[in-house]
Amino acid sequence: MKMHPRYYPAILIAAYVIFLLFGILLGFGPERGGGHGQSMLMQLAFVTPETLA
Amino acid sequence: MNAATGKKPFSLAKSRRTIQWLVVIGTFVLGLRHIMPGEASRGGSFDSFCAFGGIETLLPYLFTGHLLKSTNLLNFSVLIATLGVSLVAGRAFCGWLCGLGAIQDFVAEWTRKLLGEKRHVRGKRGRTILPMRLPAALDRPLRYAKYLVLAAILIASLYMAFPPLREFCPVRAVFGLKMTGLLWLTLAVFLAGSVLIERFWCKYLCPLGAALAIFNKISPVRLAVDGDRCNQCGRCDIECSMDIADVPHHLDHPECVRCMECLNTCARDGSLTLQIGYKENRI
Repeated sequence: MKMHPRYYPAILIAAYVIFLLFGILLGFGPERGGGHGQSMLMQLAFVTPETLA
Repeated sequence: MNAATGKKPFSLAKSRRTIQWLVVIGTFVLGLRHIMPGEASRGGSFDSFCAFGGIETLLPYLFTGHLLKSTNLLNFSVLIATLGVSLVAGRAFCGWLCGLGAIQDFVAEWTRKLLGEKRHVRGKRGRTILPMRLPAALDRPLRYAKYLVLAAILIASLYMAFPPLREFCPVRAVFGLKMTGLLWLTLAVFLAGSVLIERFWCKYLCPLGAALAIFNKISPVRLAVDGDRCNQCGRCDIECSMDIADVPHHLDHPECVRCMECLNTCARDGSLTLQIGYKENRI
């Protein structure tokens, strides 16, 4: 499907902002940093069929 | 000016330049904030706004649960945003939203002006000797250097306390405002490289560009060429800041930064178009 070039910059900025907010909503915000955190792999390690149930 | 409507026609080039200036000013403000007193209370160093910082600290975070020093969880959000743009439109981040890319474009433009090019005529090769294009025999192997840089940084990140690129980071050198001897050297090399070769850093050394290159093959927002209308005039090749040869046949080239200068320059209406979807982009 063809797209008018005028929408291109808006698409880029919208994609950037939406995905940035998505990242922050996932918990990757500045206030929770500081050099230490729990590994995502470590968190996955606790996910067992029992915990999911 | 459109006589019927009284409105100026839409210019993708002007939009890009405006966005690039905003990105550069915004990054300078971040750098300024970084040198102001009380930085620690504002949640995050200058490095924590870097998408590549997210890549640098990703493996240590996954394997040890610790972030590299000077990085922050915010790096992951910025990385997700950069990957999101790339997922939608390929390496458009490099062409439109990267501060370093913008600086390189400005330096190339100013170099041409300083060397006597009064007005840039689209699709016409400039008479100035700089910025120059490296011969293909040298240019092609050098383009792989950025993939080596990326691999080296990923491996080194597992063994280091700070992000491996930190001491040589051109973003810190250009925008960081907290300079060290190594950063001054980086700044000098970066500026000299940008004067000599257009988008020198993007072409040969940028590890983030290397990581985003694959997205040009899978993004749904892409360029398409109408083979019947394109007369292979080569105007797009001349205008390409990444020096991609034969642009109409390489619209998904991993080196393309989706700056859309080719689309701007194309003189044949409907020959190059923007499309959404995964239809064959050579019509």
